Amino acid sequence: MDTHTRNVRNVQVLGIDAGGTMTDTFFVDADGDFVVGKAQSTPQNESIGLLESSEEGLANWNLSLDEALPSLLTGVYSGTAMLNRVVQRKGLKCGLIVNAGMEDFHRMGRAVQSHLGYSYPDRIHLNTHRYDPPLVPKHLTRGVVERTDMQGMSVIPLREDTARAAAADLIKAGVESIVISLLHSYKDPTNERRVRDIVLEAVKESGKAIVVFASADYYPVRKETHRTNTTILEGYAAEPSRQTLMTISDAFKGRGTKFDFRVMATHGGTISWKAKELARTIVSGPIGGVIGAKYLGATLGYKNIACSDIGGTSFDVALITQGELTIKNDPDMARLVLSLPLVAMDSVGAGAGSFVRLDPYTNAIKLGPDSAGYRVGVCWEGGGIETVTVSDCHVVLGYLNPDNFLGGQIKLDRQRAIDAIKTQIADPLHLSVEDAAAGVIELLDSDLRNYLRSMISGKGYGPENFVCFSYGGAGPVHAYGYTEGLGFEDVIVPAWAAGFSAFGCAAADFEYRYDKSLDINLAPDAPAEQRAEAAKVLQNAWAELTKNVLEEFRLNGYDADKVKLQPGYRMQYRGQLNDLEVESPLAVVNEAADWDRLVDAFNDTYARVYAASARSPELGYSVTGAIMRGAVPIPKPKIPKEAEVGRIPPSDASIGTRKFYRKSGWMDAALYKMERLLPGNVVTGPAIIESDATTFVVPDGFETFLDGHRLFHLRQF
Amino acid sequence: MPTYTRTKVAELIDGTIDRETLHEMLSAPKDLERFVTYIDILQERMSWKDKIVLPYGPKLYCVQVAATKQWTIRCECGHDFCDQSENWKLHALINVRDTQEKLEEVYPRLMAPTSTWQVYREYFCPECGTLHEVEAPTPWYPVIHDFEPDIETFYRDWLSLPVPERAAA
Repeated sequence: MDTHTRNVRNVQVLGIDAGGTMTDTFFVDADGDFVVGKAQSTPQNESIGLLESSEEGLANWNLSLDEALPSLLTGVYSGTAMLNRVVQRKGLKCGLIVNAGMEDFHRMGRAVQSHLGYSYPDRIHLNTHRYDPPLVPKHLTRGVVERTDMQGMSVIPLREDTARAAAADLIKAGVESIVISLLHSYKDPTNERRVRDIVLEAVKESGKAIVVFASADYYPVRKETHRTNTTILEGYAAEPSRQTLMTISDAFKGRGTKFDFRVMATHGGTISWKAKELARTIVSGPIGGVIGAKYLGATLGYKNIACSDIGGTSFDVALITQGELTIKNDPDMARLVLSLPLVAMDSVGAGAGSFVRLDPYTNAIKLGPDSAGYRVGVCWEGGGIETVTVSDCHVVLGYLNPDNFLGGQIKLDRQRAIDAIKTQIADPLHLSVEDAAAGVIELLDSDLRNYLRSMISGKGYGPENFVCFSYGGAGPVHAYGYTEGLGFEDVIVPAWAAGFSAFGCAAADFEYRYDKSLDINLAPDAPAEQRAEAAKVLQNAWAELTKNVLEEFRLNGYDADKVKLQPGYRMQYRGQLNDLEVESPLAVVNEAADWDRLVDAFNDTYARVYAASARSPELGYSVTGAIMRGAVPIPKPKIPKEAEVGRIPPSDASIGTRKFYRKSGWMDAALYKMERLLPGNVVTGPAIIESDATTFVVPDGFETFLDGHRLFHLRQF
Repeated sequence: MPTYTRTKVAELIDGTIDRETLHEMLSAPKDLERFVTYIDILQERMSWKDKIVLPYGPKLYCVQVAATKQWTIRCECGHDFCDQSENWKLHALINVRDTQEKLEEVYPRLMAPTSTWQVYREYFCPECGTLHEVEAPTPWYPVIHDFEPDIETFYRDWLSLPVPERAAA
């Protein structure tokens, strides 16, 4: 990130993280150098904020958009536009066709949808529970007579006239899209596909442009509400998002880029905006960081990584074990249960913007669960916040530079923070302002630390086997606090922590993934012909999914021979509740011996994820799902490798001192400019390393070492 | 602890409040001034001037009669049922649904209770006919006195407010 070098750069990769408040861009050049750009998001037309953020970032290299964009090889977008469209119920007018007699199930939803995303106290506080309006209202839902049972047998044949009537009704009602989701269609899609064809015919006759989605074509997986919700997302929100993404792609093409933007998807790969399955791009921001950590880990040899990200509103943790991340199959988003593969991540509502209040009955300090978000805290007068936030405590204690918040884009008023903490927290507790603020920080640190510890030990590991990556705007501020005493193998803060999610997006594979539910159950002593039969069932599912994956790549102009396919499956010990996702060691399975290889691979994975002694093969094995992933090679950001120059930071990196308060005492913390520190430098606490978009706190008793990859290693004496 | 505008509290009373604010009100510790604001808005909407001591139901109040300082149970229309210490239901117009025919006016056949097991008693204001309360006990059960708040303690210890003056009945 050096700013004073040659002006002829070969900028290659662009990563974008368009958040609700800030749009981050991350540019990487051919040497692995990078810059981070930040601008306020422009939800009306996202491309404006994107271009501004890009301009801001490239200015660090003294480059203009027109100079840099034509050399770009690839770009990845992640954002929240689709999520917002769903949350605000601003999607298309969508019609739904289900089994006759089942017309209310989407409207009723699953009970858990009444309290998804709530804090624990609210989950058990029934008065707060509520149901959102359904994505498709009852008057746009029609039933068709048909029944396929859970074994895939057609119990009642399809009455085609009911399908025709349903289609005619919905078309007449003026819907813009039609979703078909029939019971157990993942087991036998025949009837559902016949309904789809009848609807398509009717749409053609009507001459209207109505898009039609059958659940079996997209998400042939168990659980009716999950599958239906997900397919509705395609019809309701994904199509308008496709337009948004096209606008962004075109806006950049207008400035000289020559590629189609890809979008970060929930499964951890990137897909094109032309993808058929676009609903999985609904959430992508937080995943970027995990993918970035996995990529860094794979390149630099870290196998077990605890990824931690603190932003304004939440603390997100994900674990990478033996280089693999965990995929969750039925996540929830926007208060809907869904059937999407999602990179597993745990989240707690505590961030830099969390409100700090006293419980009026016990006088205990309470953090969150709500937060000021982009409005920072009382210290920013323009934000209009009156309740103390964690950021106010940071400003008072000298953690943050009030004149250089977001590179000085926002000026913070320390005195306002002091006054607010005094009246709201310190006086009622009979504490000094500093001690009250320090108490808040200590409480947050210990909350996060306990959360991180319980999450790692809950999965059967110890922190000593993990490297902790800390990123996000506020991750480096608290890295010392939430890792202190946990005994991580190493604690790493990337110098580009604030743009780490955008970096991760740029580092993700161009990968499509399709899933299908299966019910294969075999006893431990199953004869060879049963094992061969099981292998064939799996192989047939893979063949079906492969067709979908190759079709996606064909849409983007990639021939089948360019695509690297990786089949996978979900297996569990028969009778257990949880399955594991396993990459298949074989490309094709047909015989009993192939089945045995799959079982061995599962047993190995189980021993790695849990413990060899916990294996329980007595009752045999079940395969619950088939997975097909396909990827094509794309350019990725290079990770910088610079020579280490020595322990002493250059004199121009030091920018003075600031009063810093920790553990009931003021001290002088040395200030450094992050960009001017050189590989090999060691900074001993108390010190604060500032960058435009993040602040790295190294308190007394800690030191940090900057390695040649621009990663800070934080160590406690 | 959050504070709310008078408009928000009025919306809470009317059931027109937005979801987010309602959720915050339910989850966060109660704002200290809520009770006073709430009562104040109700008072403003009444046709009579006697002080509301405590709301008893959507259209039923415990009030302090200005002239006598007696606490009575009063309908929104101004009808006084009785002293606060008594069961106001015993002074209401009562409709008892104790036959299958009467119960099936409320719920369809086979979905209504069996009248020998359960009856409905409906309590109306004798002046304006407002239905204030319905109870669904077994047929022989006495009239339930279902809300006997300790108003003095509530004012003094919970709200830290002076207890309104009260004359003996």
